[in-house]
Amino acid sequence: MHISEGVLSPPVLIAGAALTVAGVAIGLKKMDTEKVPLVGVISSAFFVSSLIHVPVGPSAVHLVLNGLLGLLLGWTAFPAILVGLALQALLFQFGGLTTLGINTFNMAMPAVCCYYLFARGIAHKHRNLAIGLAFGCGFLAIFFSAILVALSLVFTGESFLAAAKVLVVAHLPVMFIEGVITAFCLGFLKKVKPEILEVTHASG
Amino acid sequence: MQADNIPPKPQELKRVLTMAFALTLVSVALAPLASAHKVNVFAWVEGDTVHVEGYFAGNKKAQDSLVEVFDSSGEKLLAGRTNERGEFFFRIPKITDLKIVLTASMGHKNDFVIPMSELGEVSSQTRSESVDRTEPEPSEQNIVSGQVTTAVNLTQLESIIDTALDRKLTPLIKLIRASRQEGPTLSEVIGGIGYIFGLIGVALYFMSKKKN
Repeated sequence: MHISEGVLSPPVLIAGAALTVAGVAIGLKKMDTEKVPLVGVISSAFFVSSLIHVPVGPSAVHLVLNGLLGLLLGWTAFPAILVGLALQALLFQFGGLTTLGINTFNMAMPAVCCYYLFARGIAHKHRNLAIGLAFGCGFLAIFFSAILVALSLVFTGESFLAAAKVLVVAHLPVMFIEGVITAFCLGFLKKVKPEILEVTHASG
Repeated sequence: MQADNIPPKPQELKRVLTMAFALTLVSVALAPLASAHKVNVFAWVEGDTVHVEGYFAGNKKAQDSLVEVFDSSGEKLLAGRTNERGEFFFRIPKITDLKIVLTASMGHKNDFVIPMSELGEVSSQTRSESVDRTEPEPSEQNIVSGQVTTAVNLTQLESIIDTALDRKLTPLIKLIRASRQEGPTLSEVIGGIGYIFGLIGVALYFMSKKKN
C-alpha cells in the first residue's frame, strides 16, 4: 500500500505530511527511555515485513503488521512507521520521499485507532478472548489502511468506491494473515510478559 | 541460557526483545523469496513498434493499467491500457526520447525512458515502409536518387537484417527484463535494520543525557 511518487497532488501530500508530523510529535512525547528499544525492534520488524509477499489474490500485496504495531506501541507507532517507511523508500524504492507523510499516516493512524479499540480489552480479558480480539486488531488495521489509501486516491480522480473495492479485495488475504500473526504474537506475549500490554496502555 | 539469574524486569524485556528480534530474523530469512513491491515498467523497440510490459514483484502482470507516452518536452503523444498479460504495443509516433509512464491500481506508478538513439536506427526503415506516417522527411535514400537500385537493395537488406536481429535479440531483451527485477538485496535489508538499531542508540544516548 505504498503510494508512489507523482501520483498524488501537492495539497494531499502536504495534508498527509502535516498529519504525520502531528502524530510523530505525540508519539515522541509518549516515548520514554524504557520504551525506546521496543519501538526500535518493532520498527525494524515493520521495515522488513513489507518484503514478505502474500501471493494470493489479484494483485501484489505484502505484510504491513500495523495492527501489531498499534497494539504494542500505541501512539509511538507513528515514529516507528515513519522510520520504517523512510528506510523502505531510500533502500527499496517503495513509495517515495514526497509520499512519506501520507503513507505514514495511512499506516499509522489505523494502528493508533486499533490501539484504542482493542488494547484495553486485550490487556484485561481472558486469554482466548484476548487472542480473538488480537485477530480483529490485525484484521481491521489493514482494512482501515486500505480505506485511507482509497481516500487519498480520490483526489487523483479515481472514484472512492472503485479504489476502495480494489484495495480491500486485494488485501483480504493480508487481513486474515495479519489477524493470525497478531493473535499469535499476543498469545505469546500474554504468556511470557502480560505486563507489556498494560504498560503500553498506561503510557500510550 | 543464564536468563534465570537476571532480575525479573530485564528478563521480561529480554524475552520481548528476543521475540521481536526473532520475528525480524524470520522476515529477513523469508526476504530473498520475495522481491520489491512496486510496479515495474520495461519497454523495448522491435521494428517500428514499441513493446511495453508492466509487472509487479513475483512476475505478476500489471493488467489493465494506464500507459501514457510523452515526448522529451513532456507533451503527451498517446495513451492506452495494458492487456491481460500486462503488455501494451504502440507504433513509434515520433523520433524523440519516449517517456513511458505506467499507472497501476492502488497508487502505483513508474516510468521508463527509451532514448532517441534507440529509435533512430529504425527510423529510416519505418518511414519508407509505413504509409500512415505523418510528414515524410527526406531520408538518405531519397537524396542519392542516381543509384535507385542500390538504394532499394540497401533498404531491403537493412530491413532483412533488422528482422533477423529483432528475432535474435528478443530472447536477450526478455532476459535483461527478467534480470531487472531487482528486489532489495540482503545487504540493503540488513543495512536498514542496522540504521534502526543505530537510531535506538542515538535516542537512548540523548534521553540518558537529559536524565543526568
